[in-house]
Amino acid sequence: MSLTCQHITKAYGGREVLRDISLTLEPGRIYGLIGRNGAGKTTLLSILTAQNPATGGTVSLDGQPVWENRKSLEKLCFSRELTANAESGLAAMKVKEYLRIASIYYPGWDKEMEKRLVELFQLNTKKKLAKLSKGMLSMVTIIVAMCSKAPYTILDEPVAGLDVVAREQFYKLLLEEYTETGRTFVVSTHIIEEASDILEEVIVLHEGKLLLMEETQALLDRVRHVSGKAEEVDAATAGLELHHTETVGRSKGVTVFLQPGQSVDETRDVSVQPVSLQRAFVALCGEEERHEA
Amino acid sequence: MKRSLRFWTRYTWESMAVLLGAMAALAVISLLGADREQMADFAAQLPYLLCASAIFGMMMINTGAQTLYIPLLLSMGETRRNVLLGFRYYQALILAVTIGLCGLIWLLVPGELSSLGLRSLPFILCVLVVVSSMGSIMGTLFVRWKWLGTLIIILLCGGAGGLIGITSATALNGGFSAAEVVKLAGYLVKTPWWLVLIALGTLAADVLFQWVLLRRREVKL
Repeated sequence: MSLTCQHITKAYGGREVLRDISLTLEPGRIYGLIGRNGAGKTTLLSILTAQNPATGGTVSLDGQPVWENRKSLEKLCFSRELTANAESGLAAMKVKEYLRIASIYYPGWDKEMEKRLVELFQLNTKKKLAKLSKGMLSMVTIIVAMCSKAPYTILDEPVAGLDVVAREQFYKLLLEEYTETGRTFVVSTHIIEEASDILEEVIVLHEGKLLLMEETQALLDRVRHVSGKAEEVDAATAGLELHHTETVGRSKGVTVFLQPGQSVDETRDVSVQPVSLQRAFVALCGEEERHEA
Repeated sequence: MKRSLRFWTRYTWESMAVLLGAMAALAVISLLGADREQMADFAAQLPYLLCASAIFGMMMINTGAQTLYIPLLLSMGETRRNVLLGFRYYQALILAVTIGLCGLIWLLVPGELSSLGLRSLPFILCVLVVVSSMGSIMGTLFVRWKWLGTLIIILLCGGAGGLIGITSATALNGGFSAAEVVKLAGYLVKTPWWLVLIALGTLAADVLFQWVLLRRREVKL
């Protein structure tokens, strides 16, 4: 079983927000979808789950189209980031009502787990969604995602607004659920550093394009930060894929993405350091060059 | 579809509770200043109050369903086709329950007004179909064009306020006499063919319009 999208494009009016995206999500993995604001993450996730029609391309689960296919849709859960402000129709809905509707629509809904998570997050289910803080709304989306038991579960910004304790609870919960059930999770997040330990594979979107999709460890193994005197760095990294160059006086730092068979020339007087996932992401999607006197 | 039926059936009972609550409120207002003769015939007038509540209630409830529940169900993996069918099922069920309750009350309360009421059920059904479909169309418009939604809500609130005002003013002026109520009810006994056509046309327009906007709609909560 795999969730596949091929040549997905999405345009609003004349503005293209997704450009020719093709990817396959294999079962039993935790994917991280990362990208800057406006990169097209939520649009892509909503297209994958048939909540938004693509302008072009196809999405299929097990070779079957997802669009208007109840059997495929039953295996997917896209727990959206909730915004229960005054303009949203959800504002007046109580948490328990929201969870009740979810329990009707997700065939594998785990009632016991729902009770356990409501207790764990100390959520007052009698409250209206509009009365919840951003963090509490995130808790509701996490509960829906976890209790749905959908084989493909997608969480859009699940830790937005959560305090550090609740975020730890979420990561622990996600790993437990993943270990026990082997479900596939796709987590869209801006808190990359924290999530990097649990993400098996990362998908990087940038300006509507799929920039990279790779196993997290393999990516980290091939990204290095090289620093030293500018001429030494230039010599050590000649011919390599460079990103995010920083120059301070005569010193220079650069993030290098190595291809198979490539390496940094460490015989030069340079410092070569591994980088974190967040640093690698910034190098890929951040500003290309920075100079300081 | 089973899940859809389960959801919409429950929503029907919730909607009916709202309509019956509104009917009770109108009944209390109508009783202000009612004399003994009017009180005696009051039970047979209740279905008309229920219909009056349904006219504004269904418009509001259907608008709400379009703006809140339909995107919510789509976000939880329901197909657009099932949403369309489920909503039609809900509309049919709420109409059937409303008409059924009216019929039941008139069957249980003997009298001329009840007899006229039973004969006016097709007329009432046509009016409720028009109102229900209009509410649904307005909800669809609301989702697509927010400014129109604000206008619709103002009009609906104005209409509901007007209904309460008219009911109160009539009640405080002594209300309709039993003979007047019978006379008014008599107008509804015959269902003109054009009303049937309007009902069918509005229903068809509602289904078509909703499908056109629903089939490519982006889910936003």
